Amino acid sequence: MRRSLVCRYFPFLAVPLCLCVASGLRARVVTDETGRRVNLPDHPQRLVSLAPSITETIYALGLGDRLVGDTDYCDYPPEAKLKPHVGNVLNPSLEKIVALKPDLVLGISEGNRIETADQLQRVGIPIYGLTDHTLDDTLRSIADLGRVLDAEAAADALGQRLRARIAEVERRVAGAPRPKVLFVVWYQPLTTAGAHTFISDVIHRAGGVSVSDDLPGDWPRLSLEAALDRNPDVILFPGGESMAPSLNDIRRLPGWRDLAAVKHDRLYVVSESIIHPSPRLVDALEQVAAVLHPDQMKGYTARIDDCRKLSVVSYQLSVAVGPRTTGNWQLTTDNRRFLQSSIVNRQFFFQAGQ
Amino acid sequence: MKVAATRRNVLVLVLVLSASCVVVGLGALAVGGVHLTLEEVWAALRGTGSNAEASAIVRDIRLPRVVLAALVGAALAVAGTVLQALLRNPLADPYVLGISSGAALGDIVALWVGGRIAAAAPGFAFAGALLTMTWVYALGRRGGRLKSFTLLLAGVVTASFLSALILFVLTLLSTRDVRGVAFWLMGDLSAATGAELRLLAPAVVLAIAALYWFAKDLNVMLLGDDEAAHLGVNVARVETAVFVLSSLLTAMAVSVSGAIGYLGLLVPHVGRMLVGSDHRTLLPTAALGGAMILVLSDTLARTVVAPSELPVGAVTALAGAPVFIYLLRRTAG
Repeated sequence: MRRSLVCRYFPFLAVPLCLCVASGLRARVVTDETGRRVNLPDHPQRLVSLAPSITETIYALGLGDRLVGDTDYCDYPPEAKLKPHVGNVLNPSLEKIVALKPDLVLGISEGNRIETADQLQRVGIPIYGLTDHTLDDTLRSIADLGRVLDAEAAADALGQRLRARIAEVERRVAGAPRPKVLFVVWYQPLTTAGAHTFISDVIHRAGGVSVSDDLPGDWPRLSLEAALDRNPDVILFPGGESMAPSLNDIRRLPGWRDLAAVKHDRLYVVSESIIHPSPRLVDALEQVAAVLHPDQMKGYTARIDDCRKLSVVSYQLSVAVGPRTTGNWQLTTDNRRFLQSSIVNRQFFFQAGQ
Repeated sequence: MKVAATRRNVLVLVLVLSASCVVVGLGALAVGGVHLTLEEVWAALRGTGSNAEASAIVRDIRLPRVVLAALVGAALAVAGTVLQALLRNPLADPYVLGISSGAALGDIVALWVGGRIAAAAPGFAFAGALLTMTWVYALGRRGGRLKSFTLLLAGVVTASFLSALILFVLTLLSTRDVRGVAFWLMGDLSAATGAELRLLAPAVVLAIAALYWFAKDLNVMLLGDDEAAHLGVNVARVETAVFVLSSLLTAMAVSVSGAIGYLGLLVPHVGRMLVGSDHRTLLPTAALGGAMILVLSDTLARTVVAPSELPVGAVTALAGAPVFIYLLRRTAG
């Protein structure tokens, strides 16, 4: 009786058993950047990315064809938009991810939720998590992804190119006086970037100093009078159509017009790549450096192909609100992109959970 | 004799409270994220300061904020006082009736539409509050009279329906929702512009003065609608006027400061404990007390975690909830 039962159910048992054995042969257990243990396949072929920065890195490593799914906000490179989407960064659809049959999901601790990782692990899909707090973290993540995705050579080459560009920027701005920079994540109420963010790191390495470097938390509020007291030389806004206010908006707000940077029109919109810990973070570094140190960075764009966008994206606000185009202006980016960034999501999530 | 005594009491009370308001206001001007000496603050206020930064901080940042806090505090406290009297319900406050949800929805819809419309978001918030108020009022009226129970229920249901709509629009929204959520959940006094203040100040003062005109009628109506009618009060007219005026106050406050909880609920209770429920004394007490409390709360919000800031709604809720529980237990015992 007992025997026949086993016999009867053997086919049902055999399949998962074989799968277990097979995956055991093909997988190794590693610890990812967030400290989770991951059952990693040796040669992952079907990838799902849960953040735009990861999607960008995958393409930068030349592995775009292995990507079987990404998020609604993954729009760079443009091919990424054509991949099946699994929803947004905070709440991706578990069903859609499972339906894509990935052998590895990639997430980021600054954007995705831990619950998503737990759920995926529960249904047996390995998820490898990245963390990014500095430019060096981003380089390390690229190298890590190279190892995990079995593309170490490409990752090495990419890392070297990026390092060379970073070194060139640092060489040029070295020794120059460091302007004080206020990075405005959101202006009403004034929300800025704390010390342990890659934004702060980018500003530092671009030869500036962030005036919100001493604040706790990643995205702290800064009182306007403290901003006035810290007297930033330059104010930076992340790009994206609806992210940056117009200069008129700013001048209408109490206190802002007293800021020296506002009086001298030193407000810039830098590329939204500054909010993505992807290879394009180096673009942002170059742009910030060019804004802070125009003399030192002169002639730089001509030498580096990737940086041609500089003139477009370091958009001075006063240009945008000239007499002809009052108030309303456009950059070509999809404004929804910003939502996926950890910055807003964290804030949004935190507030909504109150 | 009795009337004269009351008048004199009111006058003394108003003077004392106004004086403390001014003191609190000056204190609030003197502290903040940046340390300024009293001389610097005074010089900046008189416009004789040589320190341009101190002058900018005091005149452009602290002063509008203190004035805004005082106006919003007075508006919410007075609205709460008259609504509690009108509905004869100690839990009535400006937010229970859904008015703030209407304002939030108006604001968020404006941001959703985007472009130039987004710049007029406070106007939309105001319109949203007024529409909600009209709707709740229409629901709460039966046979030409306001039914307090129906009105409260209509307000609660409308508020939850509007909250659902807000969540829906937020999922469609992209980026501006940052302000939407942070602002509407916890309130924020940092963003009012000079133009908004110049509109708000006379409107709030006028609405409170107009409500004061109904103080006696409200006293009588505390006895009950029928008794009030027998005593010659035109109950329906008073109800409509008071409801519209208090809703206007709430709409104005919410459209410039977001949802700041507990003021409208708590200040009237504390006021009644201090001066009794004669609205001729209670209304000025609530107005000045509300102003003072919100200025104090906002000062705490600005200074406790300086150079960062807390949302002022968090401060009022942190302080307000324990006080309310204390009052509750005291009254129960």
